[in-house]
This record gives sequence, C-alpha cells and structure tokens, in this order.
Amino acid sequence: MVALFRRLAPGLLAGIAAVGLVACGSSSSNSGSGGKGIKVAAGILTPATESLTGGKKGGTLTVLNHEDFEHIDPGSSYFAIDYEAVYATQRPLYSYKPNTFGEPSPDMAESAPEISADKKEVTVHIRHGVKFSPPVNREVTSADVAYALDRGMNPNVANPYFLGYFESVEGAAKATGGPIPGITTPDKYTIKFKLTEPQAPIVAAALVLPVSAAVPEEYAKKYDAKKPTEYGNYQVATGPYMFKNNAEGKVLGIGYQPGKSATLVRNPNWSASTDFRPAYLDQINIQIGGDTNVIGRQVLEGSSQVQNDTPSNAIVKLAYQHYRSQLEISPGAGDHYIAVNNAHGPFKNVNLRRAFWAALDREAMDKARGGALVTNVMTHFIYPEIPGFEEAGGLEGPKVDFNEHPQGDMAVAEKYMKAAGFPSGKYTGSQTVQIVGSTGAPAPEDAEITNQTLKSLGFKTHLNLVDQATMYSKYCGNVAEEIDVCPSGGWIADFGDPEAVLNVPFNGKLIITNGTNSNWGQVNDPKINAAMEAASKVVGKAARATAWAKIDRELVEQAAAIPYDWDKQPLIESKNVDGVGDLWNIGSWDYNFTSLK
Amino acid sequence: MSSRTLAGTSEPLLRVEDLHVEFHTEDGVVHAVDGITYQVLPGGTLGIVGESGSGKTVSSLTTMGLTRPQGAHISGRILFEGRDLVTLSDAEMRKIRGNDIAMVFQDPLSSLHPFYKVGAQLIEAVRAHNDVSKSTARERAVDLLGLVGIPDPARRIDDYPHEFSGGMRQRAMIAMALANEPKLLIADEPTTALDVTVQAQILALMERLQRELGMAIVIITHDLGVVAELADDIAVMYAGRIVETTSAERLFESPQHPYTWGLLKSIPSLEGSRERELVPIPGSPPSLISRPRGCHFHPRCAYVQPEHKVVDPHLEQVPGEPDHHVACLLSPEERRGLWHALQEGRTPHEAIETVGLQEGGA
Amino acid sequence: MGRYIVRRILWGVLLLIVVAALMFVFFRILPTGDPAKLRAGRTASAKLLSEIRHDLGLDKPLLTQFWEFMKELFLHFKLGYSYYSSAPVTELIKNRLPATISLVAGGALIWLLSGVTVGIISAIRRRTVLDRASMGTALVLVSAPEYWLGLIALYFFAADIGKVHVFPGAGTYVGLSSDPGKWFTSLILPWLVVAASNAAIYARLMRGSLIDVMGEDYIRTARAKGLRERRVIVRHGVRSAINPIVTIFGLDIGVLLGSAILVETVFNIPGIGRLNYDAITHADFPIVQGTVLAAALFIVCANIVVDIAYAYLDPRVRYS
Repeated sequence: MVALFRRLAPGLLAGIAAVGLVACGSSSSNSGSGGKGIKVAAGILTPATESLTGGKKGGTLTVLNHEDFEHIDPGSSYFAIDYEAVYATQRPLYSYKPNTFGEPSPDMAESAPEISADKKEVTVHIRHGVKFSPPVNREVTSADVAYALDRGMNPNVANPYFLGYFESVEGAAKATGGPIPGITTPDKYTIKFKLTEPQAPIVAAALVLPVSAAVPEEYAKKYDAKKPTEYGNYQVATGPYMFKNNAEGKVLGIGYQPGKSATLVRNPNWSASTDFRPAYLDQINIQIGGDTNVIGRQVLEGSSQVQNDTPSNAIVKLAYQHYRSQLEISPGAGDHYIAVNNAHGPFKNVNLRRAFWAALDREAMDKARGGALVTNVMTHFIYPEIPGFEEAGGLEGPKVDFNEHPQGDMAVAEKYMKAAGFPSGKYTGSQTVQIVGSTGAPAPEDAEITNQTLKSLGFKTHLNLVDQATMYSKYCGNVAEEIDVCPSGGWIADFGDPEAVLNVPFNGKLIITNGTNSNWGQVNDPKINAAMEAASKVVGKAARATAWAKIDRELVEQAAAIPYDWDKQPLIESKNVDGVGDLWNIGSWDYNFTSLK
Repeated sequence: MSSRTLAGTSEPLLRVEDLHVEFHTEDGVVHAVDGITYQVLPGGTLGIVGESGSGKTVSSLTTMGLTRPQGAHISGRILFEGRDLVTLSDAEMRKIRGNDIAMVFQDPLSSLHPFYKVGAQLIEAVRAHNDVSKSTARERAVDLLGLVGIPDPARRIDDYPHEFSGGMRQRAMIAMALANEPKLLIADEPTTALDVTVQAQILALMERLQRELGMAIVIITHDLGVVAELADDIAVMYAGRIVETTSAERLFESPQHPYTWGLLKSIPSLEGSRERELVPIPGSPPSLISRPRGCHFHPRCAYVQPEHKVVDPHLEQVPGEPDHHVACLLSPEERRGLWHALQEGRTPHEAIETVGLQEGGA
Repeated sequence: MGRYIVRRILWGVLLLIVVAALMFVFFRILPTGDPAKLRAGRTASAKLLSEIRHDLGLDKPLLTQFWEFMKELFLHFKLGYSYYSSAPVTELIKNRLPATISLVAGGALIWLLSGVTVGIISAIRRRTVLDRASMGTALVLVSAPEYWLGLIALYFFAADIGKVHVFPGAGTYVGLSSDPGKWFTSLILPWLVVAASNAAIYARLMRGSLIDVMGEDYIRTARAKGLRERRVIVRHGVRSAINPIVTIFGLDIGVLLGSAILVETVFNIPGIGRLNYDAITHADFPIVQGTVLAAALFIVCANIVVDIAYAYLDPRVRYS
C-alpha cells in the first residue's frame, strides 16, 4: 500500500499527458474486458485477455526501458520495472499469475498459508527441491526465508514497506536486521509467524511481496553488512532466471550495469516441476535509457522488443492508430485523487468537502491525463481489479448526489455550501486555501483545475508547484505544514487486497507526524478507524471485499478525499512478441509468461 | 610637368593618367579618386599631400592593385614602365606588388602581423618573389634589418613585432618593403604614428636608402613639412583631385591654391624662425558621395566668390611658371596678392580687403 | 610560462574545492535533499528514517560529514556509493566516461572542421548566394533544438526506425575497445547531431571573425608583399581569426563533456550527462556530486588548456 510515485518513478508520471490522447479516448467503446466492466477500446489487449499457456519456447527478448532499476535487491525492490526482474529471478512465498490481482498462488510456499483461529499465527510450508542459483547452489530452506524477512528491518536494506504489514510480528518493530523473534523455523520447510495482534490476514496477504524471497544468510551476510547493502550486486536467484553473474556471484558490471543494461539468463538450478511459471524465453536483455519517443518506435517497428515502462504520449497515440494489436492497456493501475485536509482549515467541514467533490469536473482532470483510453472517472476509492471494487459501486460508484455528475455540478455544490453555512453558495470565510501541486505534466493541470474549481466556490487560494519528491516529502506528507489541498495524490496497492488500497491513505491511526505521512488528508474518523481495524481481521476474499467496500462507502459519504481518476496503464510490444502483462503490476510485461511468436 | 620631368631625359617610371576610383556602397557611389594625373621618374620623389579622405591613399593603393579586393571601379591608366597596371590580371599584378613596387604603411604596429616573428614576415616577403631557400631568405632578412639600422639584427629577427619599439617597427616595415629591391616605394604616412624625433630618423633613413638603392619614392602625407626636404615634386590633393602640383621649391615659394596656403600654415614651425600661430583649415573635407557643386573646396575657402559655387575649376598652368599647375578660379593676380598679404601676417579677412575681393562670396 | 600554468592549475584545484563545498551545502540544505526519506518509502517511521540516516552517515554533524566527504574526495579520489545500485561512484563515472568522450570528441572534430571551413568560405565569398545559403542554414541549425534534430535524424536515417535505413540508430553504441567498427558507425548520427548546432555557431563566428580580420592592416601588408590570396587568407587571416574560436572550442568541449544529456538520451548512449540526469531525478546524491564535480573538472581543465593554447597561439599573451 503505497503512493503512486514509488512505482512510477518521478519522470514517468509525465508519460500520460493530455495532448493527443483526447481524440483516442472519445472513440473508445465499452467492449470491455475482465468481466468487471472496465472500458477499454476495441482491439486492445488487456492482461486479462492474454493466454498464459502455449507460448513458444526459446529466444531472446529485448526490453527497452527509459528508466533504470531503482533496486534489484528483492529486499529493497519497490518499482514496477524492478518487480518484473525480481519476480523472474526470485520466488517469494506467494505470487500472482499475470491476470489475477486478487488470488495469490503458492510460489516458494507449497500451499496456502495456515491462519490460526485467533489470527495471531501464520504458518507456511515451503517447497522441497528449490535451489539457489550459482554460486550458492544449495536447496532453499525456511531459514533462508526467515533471513530474507529479517533483512526487512535491516536499515542497510532499507525496505520501504516491511513495517507497514509486519509490525504485528513479535519483535519486528525493534529489529535492526538480526533475527526477528516472532519468525521461527520449526523445521527446514516450515516458517511460522507469531503476532502480537490478530493481524494474520494482512500478514499472510503481504507474503506476496518480494521481501519474502529467500536469501542465503551465509552468503549474503558480508554484503548486508555494507552501508547500504551490496547484496543486490551479488544476489542469487531462485526463479527461472538470474542476473548474469561471474563465478563469485558478482552481478554488478556483468549482469547489471547501472544506467546501461541488464541481462537475465536462465537459472541452471531452476526446476520447472516446482514452479507455475512457463519461462518460455531463454534470455532477457534489458537496455536502459533512451528517449521514450525513440524506444517506442523501436519497439513498434522492430521485432522481439518490449518497453516495460510508460511509453510517451505520442507513442501511445501512434500505437493506438497504427499498431493497435501491439498495445496493451491494463486496468487497475492505481488512482489519483485530491487530498483535502480533514483535520485543519476549511475542509474540516464535511459539507465543504462534498461541495468541492460536486463542483470538480473530473472528466477535465482525466482529459489532462490522457482521456478515456488510459483513465476512468474515479467514483469511489477501491479501484478496478481490486476485490471490493464491484461491491463498493463498480464504475458508476455510489449513488450520492455529489458523485453523480463527473463534469461537475454547481447546483449540487451550492447545496452543500449552504449546508456548510454559506447561504450565498460561495465561501465567505477568511481562510486562504493552501494548494501544493507538482511540476511535470499533467500534474500542473490537476492543480490548475483544482484551483479554478475552488475559486468558483468562492475560496481564496494560494497555489504552489514543486517537484514531486518535494511535494510529498516536504508538504503533502508533512503534517506540520498543514497543507489544505494536494491535487496530485495517487495510490497503487502493493497487493490485491482492498486493505492495501484504503488503510494507509485513510486510517487515522496511521498518520505519521514525524516521519513520512501518506494519509495526506489526515483523515481521522473514529468510526472509520474502528471499521478498518475490524475489516483487517476478516479472513477470506469475499468477506474482506464486502467489509472494505463498506468502508469505501463511508469514505465517499465523508468525502474524505476528492477522487478523479482510475488509471489504466498503456504498454507496447513488437509484432512478434506474445506479451503477457501483469494485472498485479500495473500491466508490466511478465518475463516469465511472455514469449516470441 | 615638374622641373625634373623636363630636365631629365629618362621615361617616367610611373605615369598615372586620368585615374578614377569609385566604390559603390549602399549609401551611394564614393568618388575616392576623381581623375588625377601625375608621374614619377626613376629615382625621383613625389609627395602627395592632402587631408585624410582626399583620395591620396586610395590612389596609391590602386597603383598597388590593393583596392581591387574591395570592389573598386577603376578607370584611367596607371603606366608602370610602360605597362598599364589597370589592365593587368590579379596574378600579374601580384608579381609586381612587393617586387617592383612596394609599400610602407602608416601604423607599423597594426601593419605587422602580431602572431609572426618579424623575421618570418621578412622571409615571407623575400620568398614571395624569389625562389630561394629559407636560410638564404633569412640571411637576406638579417641584411635588410641591418640596412634599415636595427642593431643586432641576427638576434632581433626572432622578435615579435610587439617587442619592437615604434620606430624599429617602421624600420622593419621599410626593410620588408625593400626585400626585393623595388623600383618604386610608396610610403603612406610613414611617420604619422611616430613621435617627432623618430619621424626625423625615419625620413633620414628613407633619404639614405633612396640614395643607396636608387629607387623612386611616392610619399603620401597630410603634412607638408614631411615632404619639404624629401620630395622633388609635390601634388596637393583635395576631394579626390589634384588641386595644385609643382616642384617642392616652387610650392613653398609661391603656393597658388588657398587649400595649399592652409596646409602651409598648419605646418608646425617649419623653419623655426616664424612665430606664427598654427592655423588648421576650418571645416572638414566634403563627403565623397555628394560633393559640393562648383569648386569642391568652396565651402571651406575664405576667398570664395559667387561663381566659384557653380563653376568646377580645372588644373591650369600658372602664368609664367611652366611646371606649376593649379585648379583655382581666383585670378593669378588675386592669388598673388592674397598670398603676399597672408605672408605678411594678415588674416584672411584683411587679405581680402587688400585685394579688393567680395567677402564670403555673398 | 611554467609559473603561469602552475598558477592556473592551483586556481583550478581551488575552484574544484569550492564547487565540492557548494554542492555539499546545496544538497544537504535544500528541501528535497533527504535521501533517507526517498529510500525509506512512503510510510517511514521516524525510527526507520533515523536508522537510514545513520547508515548513510547523514546523522553526523554537517561539518564532520563535510570533512569526511572532502577527505575521501581529495585524498583518496573516492566519491562514495550510489544510494540505489550501491556501485562506487568513481567506477560509474569511469565506466561512462569513454562514451561521453567518444561522443564529444567526434562531434567536436566535425563541428570544428565543418564550421571553420564553411565560415571561411562564407567570409571570402561574402554576399554571394553560397554565403547566404550557408548562413541561412546555420541560422536554422542554431535554432533547431538538439533533441528535435536527434529525433529527425533517427526517423530519417536510423537502420531500425528510419525512412531510409542508413546508420545504426539509438541504443547501438558499443565501446571503442569492444568493436571499433560498430563504435564508429553507431556514433555517426549522434556526432552529426552534436556537431550540427555547434558547427552552425562556429561557421557564423568564423565568418564574422575572418571578415573583421580581413579588414586589418596586416592583411593589407600581406597583400602588398605580393603573397598569393590563398596564403593571405590562410596564413594571415585564418591564423588570427581562429583565436576566438579556439577559446570557445575548449570551453564548449569542457561544458559538453558534462552536459550532453539530450543527445545521450535520444541515442541512448550511456554517458556522464545521462548518469547525472538520472541521478538528479532519483536524488542519488553521491552520483550527483560525482558527476557535477567531474563536469567542473572538465571545465577547469578546458580552461587551463584554453589558456595554454591561447598563450601558444598569441605571442603577445605569452610574454605579458
């Protein structure tokens, strides 16, 4: 559960901008996919329509990525293109098949996690016969998984999410890389999590994250002692592929040259019989850098190539018009909403938030992000492909009057302004609304439309645009700044569970006052907090979906934030590539399932 | 024309006949040289005198063929040893330039290339017209520097121009001009950029070299004092034309043109004895694009008469002085009377009254 | 002369120390400059942040950090490790340097030769059709953004995505040592793009400079000697007119070595400029520091080389 910007690196958010895509958007039809009524234009692939079997074996895929990896260490990795390399080389306890975002499959684990009745214990049995790649070459044991999870608290590894899901594990919060007392290995193939709180459902769900991919302690320890760790540059694999390395296991400069290239080759110790991944390709060459307009054309016009980060606007348009069969649009690629300060300033008043929601032209906001081809108007908070989406209202969203008009409805807005105590329908208070947006298209447009909307409601505003990292770290994620409105908030769930969408951004108990706060609106409704705590403990996909959908409805009712866009991620491939995109990873091409025709 | 011309038996080395030089610019046609005629005998010296913008430099550069790259329109004849230089091709002209005819310029610092050693520039001059080895040319260059009076020439030859003093630079320029023993040396204001004592040294050097080498010299100057000792004949130029020409003695003895009078009066203490004030000629030379009607000098002439503003004077012989020509509309008597009055120290105003002319041409 | 050079070098070192100090101050004081927050993710507790800060040495007093940074830098030539890939920064720079040098050196050679040649021809054929055509082209090239030129070059001539498949396109760069032939062909388009706008600038500069010089008295003297026009132009005219060009050339190369980002990106050449740019977008400060220092070093060196070259070219400077 993490803000959008972590997976889409800063520069990439600019990828989907307004120009040119508006026309495509208007011509899209509702010939949908995925059975969830997601609008994707006719003839365009989505991860849900792609076949996972029957690919041709062999060949080399060339990946042209504009962006470099951030971290290839499975303990720190947290970025869409990093994930594709990590999930091709590492086997976390659980992982997703490309077209599922709600149903993890046992990966390093042999079967589904066992959750105790008091929800304070999780037990996982791991597979026999999975071996580490050279130079380690031995069988993976539960101790390797435990060590990997211990690394989650090692500051040298600096895992960005561990504590968010595993805080309830006994002793986790105090660990600094050494063994976490609550994680035990009763035998070579069993790992147990003892929790202080009944949080087993979320702990189990989080085992799809790459931090659960086994790391051999005796080999990794010397690298983990470095500040920061160098294990990523010497990593060994458990998956079908591995970063090319030398006899000592060194990857840096051999299988990965930062900013230049990376090479994934077959892991000689991988056995297909232990894995659900078909691993058709023999090798994956990743070229890093280059201009998105150029690499986009290279992919579309060339052969055996894909781009695995966001194509440029012009390329998406080109692909849509001339290479439609080479374009994939993946729903469930996160959302965007305007964070409004529920704790300070004018928007403490729920009716002012509702008025703001009613007045906002969400279609204009979405046009700025590329129109209907790559967005849907956001009507509530659990986004498409996440369990609970339909239960919370589907595409149409809850039938509340301020949500009914995506183009904005000043009459409804006026009604709520009056309810908030402004009989003229315009804000007449003295407070100036502080807006902090981000630079780089289309974020300034978000901010501008937001600003105009607030002005039309009578607010005096002060708009400040800063770069995205500063927006989050200094302003919107910094409680002390008391920013009223952050128009460019966004979220991508870490895994396919509604809790991963709603908990961190809207749970008042998770407001961090002296670190990095991601509940930007400081939403802190005791009723909602309590409901979240209860829903967190619910076991079972359907039950969880229902529980969290209820919370979603309450968030809409409270207008806890002003939603405007559910993202769909465009991706491109060469004609002879049978690409399979990952619904769980904003549509990115999955190296384990992609093949050459 | 000059006394030497008539007295000598030899053919003129250089004869310029009705030379016109025009430059076509965006502002109009510049009549830089407007039909001048003069000649220089072998070994003789002609002084061309005039203010800047009188066309004296352009006429000499044209003789060298150096106005061609600037797109000058040239008509008339420039006969050098019987060949008309105007009609020569660029390549033929180049063979004469620096070889038979050489030139020394006003500012020796800017005229020497700052990045090359003095010796290298001399050697280049030698080798431009002589197919000799570098070492031979270098020996010659050392000799030349010695000839123009630079001490320790074998060492100084490897100096850069900026390491030379002003006088030494001009000596070096002269040495360069002498590299191929020219028959004619054109010296364009050779002393103007130098201080007074150095000026005298350079003039003395030129005199000595002319004696030793027997070359002809055309010396161009705005300062009659410079040519007083050196020149056999003097041509005074104004606005692209020769307004007076005769031998040096005659010019100082009985100058005929009011412009010449002005030049004479602006010589600083010519003989030391006269204690006259230095009188510059009032006004400035006319634009060569749109020259005044009538006598071109009339706007600056103190003795101008109404018809002078309409009638364009031509060079005519001064009665009783066969090689003395002047282009002035005043009568010979009036001119004699005026010059006498001026010599007695009267102002132009008083002189006019003496002669009984109308003042200011009103 | 020797003392002059030594003095220039000492100034250069001092300048580098100042740049290093300024960078240190900037990146630690500016609001974006919290690498711990960037590493720690979006729900970082104060505890995790402080641990990461400790790890990266960011919790020490600023002066200590500064002292250690400068000590490592100037005594051991070490610039630390990338926050992301953990690769040593000096290695990364060394690794990227050949590509940038290849790109800049080749491009510079082309723009110098073509710019100067066109400039000379334009100057001596002033106001002819040829002159007007070359200066018109130059104006277009000067105003054409490098990025756009790069795309145009690729869309027309790249072997993979061009209209005519002539030259290897983006992402084909290989090191000189691994395959000289491929190195050369892969760099043809980037060289031309790097050279284009500079060649245009140099042509205009050379033209103006030569026209000025050809009006100098010493050119008249050279002609008066009876030298061939060709020799007058080349030995006397160009020799002087080239001086300001050489000065700018040195500096342009120095600057470009650290900032060829656009061409490196369009053609996907893994050079210093891109390393720097990527590091800035990820707040990877050790790399930013390293690349900025490298860029400063290039400029300082270029300055010294230019000064020496100038003294060599102009004897008046040498002796003063």
